[in-house]
Amino acid sequence: MLRSHRPLIFFTSMAVLATMAVYATGGSAKPLAQWRWIDVAGEASIAVMACSWFLVVLSSRPPGRVTTLLATGLAGLMLGAVADCLDEFFSVPKGQHWNHIIESGITLAGMLSLTWGLLYWRQEQLIVTEHLQKRERVFRDHRSFDQLTQVADADYLRAQLSIEHARAEGESCLLMLDIDNFHLVNRDFGQREGDRVLQAVTQVLLLNLRNTDLLCRYAGDRFAVLLPSTQADAAYALAEHLRRAVASLRHHAQRSGQPIAPTIRTTFRTVDADPRQLLKELNRALERRMPYAAAGSEAPGVAPAHA
Amino acid sequence: MNQYWQAGDACIRAQDQPALVLDYAHRRELAERLVFPGTGLDGWDLPDADRTLTPEQYLRLLSNVASGLKSADTSFQLGQHMLPGHFGNISHALTQAHSLRDAIGMLRRYQLPLSPLLAPRFAEEGGLGIVYWTPGFGVTPMQGFLLEMQMTAFSAMCRWLSGEKLPWRFCFNRTQPRYTEQFEVHLGPRLRFNCQLDAMLIDAAWLDHPWPRGNATAAAIALRHAPPKAEQRALLSAVHDYLLENIRRSPTLEETATAFAVSPATLKRHLARHGSHFQAELDQVRAHVALMLMHRGHDNDAVARHLGYHDANNFRRSFKRWTGMTPLLLRQGIQAFMA
Repeated sequence: MLRSHRPLIFFTSMAVLATMAVYATGGSAKPLAQWRWIDVAGEASIAVMACSWFLVVLSSRPPGRVTTLLATGLAGLMLGAVADCLDEFFSVPKGQHWNHIIESGITLAGMLSLTWGLLYWRQEQLIVTEHLQKRERVFRDHRSFDQLTQVADADYLRAQLSIEHARAEGESCLLMLDIDNFHLVNRDFGQREGDRVLQAVTQVLLLNLRNTDLLCRYAGDRFAVLLPSTQADAAYALAEHLRRAVASLRHHAQRSGQPIAPTIRTTFRTVDADPRQLLKELNRALERRMPYAAAGSEAPGVAPAHA
Repeated sequence: MNQYWQAGDACIRAQDQPALVLDYAHRRELAERLVFPGTGLDGWDLPDADRTLTPEQYLRLLSNVASGLKSADTSFQLGQHMLPGHFGNISHALTQAHSLRDAIGMLRRYQLPLSPLLAPRFAEEGGLGIVYWTPGFGVTPMQGFLLEMQMTAFSAMCRWLSGEKLPWRFCFNRTQPRYTEQFEVHLGPRLRFNCQLDAMLIDAAWLDHPWPRGNATAAAIALRHAPPKAEQRALLSAVHDYLLENIRRSPTLEETATAFAVSPATLKRHLARHGSHFQAELDQVRAHVALMLMHRGHDNDAVARHLGYHDANNFRRSFKRWTGMTPLLLRQGIQAFMA
């Protein structure tokens, strides 16, 4: 990520060197006896820390307006601290005020830029949050995201199920789905193509879910969808809808252009047991191709599926 | 003549399993500085045909990739495509296997290319086919990862070649890990942890069920061009084989060393280098044999006699030392899982 910010890093380095040059030429060096070590240490460490914030921001964000504003602001704070520090080594002739202008002016400009950047960053976050809604629900934990499909993983699902189970208000359902014969896609087209099919199916599922639903990649080609405040018949209707949506997907292999048409099978049940038991039953039901996962009973008001 | 490879001998062709691991790491965009240290490899390109790695280097490659990707599914994803693999004639013959029994036979015969770090073993007891795995070069912190990878590889290959999902049951000699979802999806719902054995069990009727792609002639021709059955096996695997063959005579360190044409001191040193010692290996083989016999329905007295114990109480105490469980408890466990 840092590489894409080369110009900004270059200009900031130049600005630091320029400040040093201005002090070295415009001021006169103070004798060693006048150096105040505590001030030197304090101001230098502020500069170093501001520099590290600058790098953290650049290394974690792609180029763009928000990034530029935040980074410029932090660079300004750093320059101000550098100037402050140089003040300890050089004395400026009486009657000249340029050192104050550099010190306070740059710091103030930096703070303005940082503030402005943070306002835009907030807007950006609101949009990202909206975008992530179907993927995260209630709390954010960046460690629980699956790298390939960018949806939550099984750990996150278990945490959410515990919350849902403990809350026990209204009925919630858990839907589980599996891609039919996914291993053949991998064998016939290679694992790279298989990865792309997984990503395509993830997109189709996300596009067909409600804002309150949570999609997780359970493991391999198996996904889980938590449906809060949803009755069994609504869950069944959604499952059928997802099945048809995926069935209409045509993925085209990157190299040969050959169409791949993944299909899924689904199962669901209400969230009324502890997560471990619930997931175990759903997995069994998927293996046995049962559309409703409760031992020996039909879903209330649901006709036998695939009939 | 019995010979064995040790963890420091270059005996694993870099083009076999290591190349598949490299490909996976590359596809997952893992940084080179995380993948290559300590592996003897230095680039993403397919290694030369005559390039070999030591088991230590291959294990390092796997652990680099595992810790670099920090994902619970790495071992399972790697396993999905490891077999039959692209290892020349051996892979070609494996693709033509005409039944599960045939495939297991090839896996056993060509363990160094097909399962370099774990020795696959086979037993048929009490109406069950049992494929179980023992360490080839010592137990390392990567043991669980290796088992996940090899078991996934073998069951995924069987699923592909047989055209159906075989009803395997899986036993693991470890506590249940947090990421059970990976086991459920990649291996299946019939899982059991805290077992004495790392094994895959299947009803013996499946062993000789014909596979649709099977072609005995093609397989035989492919194998004729394959390198001759490797006489040399991994150290612990070779010692295990010898002890298993001679278990009824209670073999000693001296006899075993003679069979491998080394001095007892040398064998002792070699075992120590792989984190083991003679008594531990002997106990492990005895425990496995006892488990198999119990599964066949033998009572404690019969098992004790088979293993050369004169006293059933003595056997019970030893058994508890090997497995941490009394024979009775273990028997109940086996029955509960099979029911």
